[in-house]
Amino acid sequence: MDHLQLAAHTFSSRLILGTGKFSSAAVMLEAVKASGAQLVTVALRRFNREQLEDDLFGPLSELPGITLMPNTSGASTAAEAIKAANISRELSGSPFIKVEIHPNPQHLMPDPIETMEAARVLASEGFLVMPYISPDPVLAKRLEEVGCASVMPLGSAIGSGQGLASAAMLSIIIRESSIPVIVDAGLRAPSEAARAMEMGCSAVLVNSAIAASDNPAEMAAAFRDSTDAGRRAFKAGLMRESREAVATSPLTSFLGEQS
Amino acid sequence: MTILPDWLTDNNDCRELEAMLRNRSPESLETMAARSRAMTLRRFGRTMPLYAPLYLSNYCSSGCAYCGFASDRTTPRRKLDEEEIRREIAAMKQLGIQDILLLTGERTAAVGFEYLKRAVDIAAESMQRVTVEAFPMSVEEYRELAGSGCTGITIYQETYDLLQYEALHRWGPKKDYLYRLATPERALEGGIKTIGLGVLFGLSDPVTDALMLYRHARHLEKTYWRGGISISFPRLRPQTGGYEPTHPVDDHLLARIILAFRIAMPDVELVLSTREKPSFRDGMAGLAITRMSIASRTTVGGYLEGENSGEGQFEISDSRTAEEFCQALRSRRIEPVFKNWEPAYNGPSRNTLPCS
Repeated sequence: MDHLQLAAHTFSSRLILGTGKFSSAAVMLEAVKASGAQLVTVALRRFNREQLEDDLFGPLSELPGITLMPNTSGASTAAEAIKAANISRELSGSPFIKVEIHPNPQHLMPDPIETMEAARVLASEGFLVMPYISPDPVLAKRLEEVGCASVMPLGSAIGSGQGLASAAMLSIIIRESSIPVIVDAGLRAPSEAARAMEMGCSAVLVNSAIAASDNPAEMAAAFRDSTDAGRRAFKAGLMRESREAVATSPLTSFLGEQS
Repeated sequence: MTILPDWLTDNNDCRELEAMLRNRSPESLETMAARSRAMTLRRFGRTMPLYAPLYLSNYCSSGCAYCGFASDRTTPRRKLDEEEIRREIAAMKQLGIQDILLLTGERTAAVGFEYLKRAVDIAAESMQRVTVEAFPMSVEEYRELAGSGCTGITIYQETYDLLQYEALHRWGPKKDYLYRLATPERALEGGIKTIGLGVLFGLSDPVTDALMLYRHARHLEKTYWRGGISISFPRLRPQTGGYEPTHPVDDHLLARIILAFRIAMPDVELVLSTREKPSFRDGMAGLAITRMSIASRTTVGGYLEGENSGEGQFEISDSRTAEEFCQALRSRRIEPVFKNWEPAYNGPSRNTLPCS
């Protein structure tokens, strides 16, 4: 079977859902169900034990067949992310932590230096570390070296809907990585999820594109199908693009020459 | 003579914003609304983080001509003691509030830094997020406040029009335009994570003020790149002091300003308070605004006393209960969010020194 393998955990779905930005917890849960996702991420800052209605953790933890991957969104340093990871594990019991460190709350770009440090510490403490990163092939290998369970490079800026603007860098990361590569952020259309999977990504993470849709559950199902289609195409082997023109005079005709 | 810094007057970066503000055609407003709505939805989704203000004190040492708390007003002066702060916070928590903005007037002997810091300590014991709108402080004081759990400072320039500023701020520490202008920088340098900027629309030419506000925000973004920025859009309402705005801003213009800011600053948090009436708040919630106050009392001790006595800093136009307001948001497919912060992230933000 073709499963997504993250350390000792296997998932048949390769679509991971983000759970923020939805118009209600009920709408979010419908979308999660329709997406077929088995792994969902939820921000620690949206764990709310006092106010039942806006809490995301409670309703998600009751959904059968779902593994939670808490994330550290809101942390701006490695120290804050490490603290958040420990609180998240305590509360959720999940071994997964999506390390998300953006020092600037406006553009939400991940800080490579703080992320590297947090990943190193958390991996050594036994977390299954899933770092959200800029599409930097060297950083991806460095994170692999310290024991991350995957790397999660952004397709484009969070909430930008610019799709796979980073495709050229992503393809290097995919080619060189020995751990799963999960495209996180920027995907707008299901076709972009399919393209990421065709490129050889192990999974995609989608939030805004589904949450901002007029019909989140239907969009979630569309992403489910396109992620699946992209994966199947990758496994089947895409026909090679023809990039070279064939010269009218053969370039290698000299090879049979006698002298 | 006060000389304004170049970054506050240079127009290179804001021609598009200026064009949006100067064009007053209804068609252009509708086009801007569509664009702003799409941008807001894409970047912020369908959620609305909520907060509520707690007025700790109405003592004040400044003479702002437009303010009900100015030091020459006959308003009875009061400050909450520690026990009263705890009780007010408990009453706010009953309403569901988990994100609190603590307010005071300008620094006085009765209400100074130590008092404010103690209030932050108390609030941080039970609130998920604590921010402050008080008097300008030093870098060291901001660092201490951040250590107590204050994550954000709101400090409005009120108006960037220097002449008008000096005329309106008749006495007191607030009279110093440049000191106030540099306050966000001191706060960021002290490790405060988010700065709330704003002008009080109605005090001077709104387009000029909006453009200078934008330049201020861009200057901070570029200089203190880790700092979060939020922008509020308070508009002068009838004040206890009876001040009539010289440059009144109507609903259409205020909406235009807010939409223009969303388009010019797609990633910045835009805030709207209960100064505005329900229809305006609900309408702007889906179009551009990404943080709102709720169930607010603007009198000292107002949450326990239960109603606004008319002696608050400003008149509240949206007096709906927390539940009523949440219901209005939900009917627009927006989720009210009471907790959108994690105290694990509290503490002075390091490395907020300017990059130059």
